[in-house]
Order: sequence, then C-alpha cells, then structure tokens
Amino acid sequence: MTSAFPYLLLPHVWASRNRLRRREHGDTLRGLLFGAVGILVCGALFWGAYWLTSQLSAYEEFGEYLLRLGLSWLFLSFLAFLAFSGIVTALSTFFLSDDLRLLMTSPIAARRLFAARFTRTLGSASWMVVIFMAPVLGGVGVGSCAPPAFYLTAAATSVPFAIIPVAIGAACTLLVVNVFPARRARDLLMLMGLVFAVGIVLVLRFIQPERLLRVESLPDITDFFATLQSPITPLLPSFWAGEALFAGLHGSVDWLHQAALWTTAGAFVVSLSWAHERWHFAGYSRSQEAPKTRFARFAALDLLAATLPLSSVRRQLLVKDVKIFLRDVSQWVQLLPLVALVLLYLYNFRVLDLERLPFVAGFVKNVYAFVNLGMAGFVMATVAVRFVFPAVSAEGASFWIIRTSPISMQDFLWSKFWTAVVPVLVFTEVLTVAANELLGTDPFLKIVAAGGIFFMTFALVGLATGLGARYPRFGADATQAAGSYGGVMFMILAVLLIIVTIALLGWPSSLYMMSMTGQHRWRLTPERQLLIAACFSAVIAICLTTWWIAMRSGVRALEAMRE
Amino acid sequence: MIAINDLAKTYGRFTAVDGISLHVEPGEIHGFLGPNGAGKTTTLRMIAGLLKPTSGRILVNNHDMETDPEAAKLSLGFIPDRPYIYDKLTAGEFLTFHAGLYGLSNGSVQGRVHEMLDLFELRPWEHELIESFSHGMKQRLVMSSAFFHRPQAVAVDEPMVGLDPRGARLIKDVFRHMSERGVAILMSTHTLEVAQEMCHRVSIIQKGRIIAQGTVDEVKQLAGGATDEHLTSVFLKLTGGSGLQEIDEI
Repeated sequence: MTSAFPYLLLPHVWASRNRLRRREHGDTLRGLLFGAVGILVCGALFWGAYWLTSQLSAYEEFGEYLLRLGLSWLFLSFLAFLAFSGIVTALSTFFLSDDLRLLMTSPIAARRLFAARFTRTLGSASWMVVIFMAPVLGGVGVGSCAPPAFYLTAAATSVPFAIIPVAIGAACTLLVVNVFPARRARDLLMLMGLVFAVGIVLVLRFIQPERLLRVESLPDITDFFATLQSPITPLLPSFWAGEALFAGLHGSVDWLHQAALWTTAGAFVVSLSWAHERWHFAGYSRSQEAPKTRFARFAALDLLAATLPLSSVRRQLLVKDVKIFLRDVSQWVQLLPLVALVLLYLYNFRVLDLERLPFVAGFVKNVYAFVNLGMAGFVMATVAVRFVFPAVSAEGASFWIIRTSPISMQDFLWSKFWTAVVPVLVFTEVLTVAANELLGTDPFLKIVAAGGIFFMTFALVGLATGLGARYPRFGADATQAAGSYGGVMFMILAVLLIIVTIALLGWPSSLYMMSMTGQHRWRLTPERQLLIAACFSAVIAICLTTWWIAMRSGVRALEAMRE
Repeated sequence: MIAINDLAKTYGRFTAVDGISLHVEPGEIHGFLGPNGAGKTTTLRMIAGLLKPTSGRILVNNHDMETDPEAAKLSLGFIPDRPYIYDKLTAGEFLTFHAGLYGLSNGSVQGRVHEMLDLFELRPWEHELIESFSHGMKQRLVMSSAFFHRPQAVAVDEPMVGLDPRGARLIKDVFRHMSERGVAILMSTHTLEVAQEMCHRVSIIQKGRIIAQGTVDEVKQLAGGATDEHLTSVFLKLTGGSGLQEIDEI
C-alpha cells in the first residue's frame, strides 16, 4: 500500500529535479537570459499595476471605488481562465495520462489518487495565473502603500480562489466523461470548447461593453456604475477575492469573504473527492474503450494538395499534418473559443461609438489601430504557441519515420513552417484589416497595420517553429509542449517582439498623422521622413532576422539530435 | 549492402559501441545477436541515421551515412523494435505518406500500396486508422513501409516481438524472399532459433564489441562447440551465460 498522496507526486518532482540536474551546454546562459526577460515582463506588470493604482489613489473615494472594481474584474478574468484550464487539464491528468495505467493497477486508495491528481491539476492549471497575478497584486499593494499583511492576504486569497474554478472544471470533466457512452475524449473536448466559447459570448453580451460609451443614454451616473458593476455578482468567487484583497489594502481582514472563499473551496474539494471516488473508475474505464473509429477521409484535401506546386515530399508532409490535425478533435476544437473571442472582438469594434467623443474620436480611432495591431499580435502569439510551437513535438515517437527518411531536417522544418504560416497569415490579416475597417481608421494606418502584421506573422510563426524544434517535448501532448520551457520562452520573446514592432510602427505613424494636421511644427522634414523610413525598415529587418535565425537554429537543433 | 567500419558510440565516459566492423553483402541475412544492453539497438540506430557515431563509418549501398545521408537512407529500410506510427492516419495513407518521403511518384504509388498491404495481410484495414491496430498489425505495417521503396538494404531491430506465429512466419518468408532478390538484411534478434533458421551469417556483440562473427557453424566452432550444438548454448558460452545465472538466483 502507498503512503500519503504526496508520494504519488514524487515521480513528477523527481523528473523535474532530474531535468534540472541534467545540465547541457549553454543552459546557464539560457537560464540567465530568459530569467532576465521573465523578470523584465514581471517588472512591467508590477510597474503597470503600481502606476495605475497610484493614479487612482489621487481620486480618493472614486479612485478607491475603481480600484475595488478593478480587483473584482481582474479576478473575474482569471476565474474564467482557471475554469477552462481546469477542464482541459483534468481530462489529461484524471483520464488520459499514460501513468494512470500504472497507478490504476496499483493498490492506491481512490482518495489518495484523487488528492494527488487534483494537486497536479491545480498546479498545471494555475501556475500561469499565479505568475501573472503575483506582480500585479504586488504593484497594487505598493501603489496603495498597503501594510505587509496585504501580501499574506493576497496569498491566502489566491489559493482558495484557484481551487474553486479548477475544482469546477474537474467536476465538469468527470461528469461529461461519465455521461458519454463511449470513449470520445475528443468529442468531450469539443463540447467543452463550445461550452467555453458560448460562456464567453454570454458573459460578454451580459456586460454589454458598448454601453459604457453611451453615458448620456443612462438616466444618471449611478446607472453608469451599475453597468460596470453588473457582471461582478456577489455570488462569484472573483467578487469575494476582490473584496478580501480590497480589505487587505486597508490593513483589515474581510473575514466574511475569506471564509466564503475557503469554505467554498473546501466544500468543492470534498464534493469532488466524493464524486471521484464514486465515478472516476467508471469514467476512466470508458476512456479506455476503443470503439471502431469513425473519421473523415478528406479526399478533397488530397485532390487540393495534388494541385499545389509542391514537391512530393512537401505535399505528403502537408497532407499528413493537416489530416492529423483535423482528425484530432482535441486539437482543432481549441480554435473554437478563439474564433468566438475574435468574433466578439470584431463585434466590439463595430459597436464602438467613438463619434460621441467629438474632439478626440479621430485620435482614439488611430490609437486603436495600434491597440488592434497589438491584440492581433497577441492572438497570433497564442495561436502560435498552441498550434505551431508543438508542431515538431507532435511527431512524437513517430519522428523516427522522418529521421530515417531521405529528407533533410531543413525540408522537414520548412514544411512545418509553410503549413502553419499560410492559415495564420490569413487569420491575422483578416482580423487586422476587418477591425481597422470597422473602426474607420485612417487609410495610411490601415496599410501600416496590414504590413506590420504581415512581417510579424513570419517572425512569430518562424520563432514558434524554430523554438519548437529547438525545445521539443516528444513525449508530451500539445498543451504540455506549449507550457514547457520552450513554450514560455517563445511567449516572452513574442511579447517583446510585438512591443518593439508596435513601438517602431507607432511613433513614425503618429508623426505622419500629426503632419496631416497641416501644422507647421509637425511638417515632414526630410530628416523626419528618413526617420520614418528607418523605423519601418527596422521593423522589417527585425522580423525577417527573427524568422531566419529561429528557423536556422531549429534546423540545426534537429540535425544535432543525432549527437 | 551495409558496411560498417570501426564504428563507435560513446555517451560521456560510457562506451555503448566500441569499434565494431561488419559487412552485410547483397542477398545476405545477417543476424546481430547479443545480450540486453550490448549495443545492438545503438548500432542499428546509427545505421538508420538516428544516431551520430562518435567515430567510424557507415556505408549503405556505397553511400556514406555521414556525408550523403539522403542517398544512404533512400536505399535503406529501417524497422525499429517499437512500431510508433501516426495514429491518426489510415494504413493506406501512411504508406502513401511514406512513398512521398521517398520521392515516389503518384502514378505507381497506389498499386504499390495495395501490393504491400496484400503482402503483409493488411489490405482489409487499408482505410482504418492506425490507432485501432494491434501491436502486431502496426509492426507489419512498419515492415511494409520499410520494403515499400524497394531498398537494397534493410536494418531491422527485433522483428518478431509482438507477432503471432502466423505473423512471424509471414515475416520470415518476406525476409527470405527479399534476400533472394538481393536485399541485404541486418537483423538484431534475441530469438536465437530465428537467427539459426534464417541467417547466413551472425555477429555476436557484447559490451559494445563483436566477440564472434561468421556463419552459424563458424561461430559454434569459435565457441569450441560441435556444429550440431544449439545456437542458444553457444550464445550463452560466448556471452557468459548471465541469463541462466539470473534465473538460478531467482
């Protein structure tokens, strides 16, 4: 018999320890470099939160009110993310993970297994939120001159706050796995993806953000704030967490909301443990069933591929990758929430009524063109880390087929790149152009944004492909690969690239736009024209260099695998 | 033809393969025998281009695996011990994909796919996803891909693992047939009966070094045994009989 449940976590702890011990050439340098970048990003989050809180402090009660509201909104966003992350992670840790075959045949009490798997689910689903939340709350604390007890309150609030949505997500997974008559993990994920997407749609429609800009349509200012307040229902843990932290900022303890968080988290864990004991084995058993597979042949894809001007090697690699992607519902279903979010994003641009701000409407529109570019960049980075970065890892144990074939690693990796870059480019260009069209941005900025996103696509997809080849996780699924060291590194570099690109495009564009006002001091002198050209050229150079270096590095890493 | 010359592979201070040389002529089935951890799989993985040798040279059909890997791989078929293949492709699609990797044109591919599926008795599953296949079926599919592009040499690691008697018989027949057609086959195996029955020559490797090489009869004589002695006892004599010792200890 096994001892306490942490024993079951030991393999993961040992595996992590061994990975750390197995130092390779350049590990220290990489660690220092990317550690520094990570600290920079966290520092930026900290500073942003600090600055905002300091600004709000200047408005006394109104500022405090907005800060309180902001905390609840912050937790509301994390709540949705954690719930979805909990669903996806629980499916893997409770039902699909390979080591379950060993654990389920071992004499382990169901409760211990549950405790171990839930701890793992909680860790995997929430680490990213913790990393982003810590500097933000730190910034809020420093900006508000909060007492030291605030940080203890923050830690005490974050733990139950993370447990609740992850437990709900795990419960959803348990329920659906048992409701479906046969093993259909992919169908399950599809359903969950749709539920998440619909949930997002409903929440965002419920908020009706466009109303915020129609202040004059509201009877009075109270209604205006009621609009802001509306999605923050006191029944949600995000509200409790926001309130508990707000109290912590003033040195007091909000026992009511802390108790609500802890008792709810405890109740969820106990209930889930009971449900796990009752239904997990049945669900796991079903997940092992291998029904006769139904799948699409995609004959049209073969015909289409045959018309493409590609070598037979690249054509077959393309067809193979696309078919595997389309047949694995757990892969493409993750695009659904993304599509829902993008549609909402575009919808919001359509309903934004900036003409109600007569003196600044033009300015805001043009600023939004760059906000939109940044958003498109971040969406692209998310798509790339989830779908492009794991492309090499997805070969998994079958990679020997490629490596023993008479094709070069260069051909292989470039095939991965071109397979990814075309859909990503179409997606981001449509997103950028449509958003700017709906917004009514200046034509010059439309062209700059479309050009910027074009080069950014090559840089980000190249970076994801190259780093995916440099840091593959052949034993991991796509989600795990995306969350690996290489995936995090990609996200950090991608964010930096997006920021640099927007800065280099934004400044000369604003100069150009100001010159259009006709004022003498903003006229485009030859020096300014040169600067504008230099900035735009720098963007192109940075993007192309990133693309080329990343791909080259990826090819070399694949070639070095023989070592 | 497969020719390896003074091949070595080290991992830090550990030497997995220590300067081995062997030559597999066209039409020859060469058995590669040795206890667990002797270096068989490492050698085969180097021949297949999966591992880079620390030193030494590998020629496949006179193409150097180091300097001309694509030509070498084009004339080689490799069958690994564990048949990991793309679960979400059908058997037919997998072979078509394989054909593309080896630069085979579309016109003749479908016929060849059917031919290989028929040969390895997988035709009824041509349009089924590989994820629904048993281990033995996957193994046969991998073999059909290894022979698909008509290689002049084949490196195969433990071909009989997971095969039922009918499957094992089929594989033996295919190997013999390919050998008669001039294909050089280097086959690592633990099943000494298979080596005795099928191989023209064998090499016995231990601790990364070849300790005996020749026809089965020559190897028996090297071990000081009679030619009618079973290869198993020769193997145990040459490799120290550690397997039997372990059984006694249990």
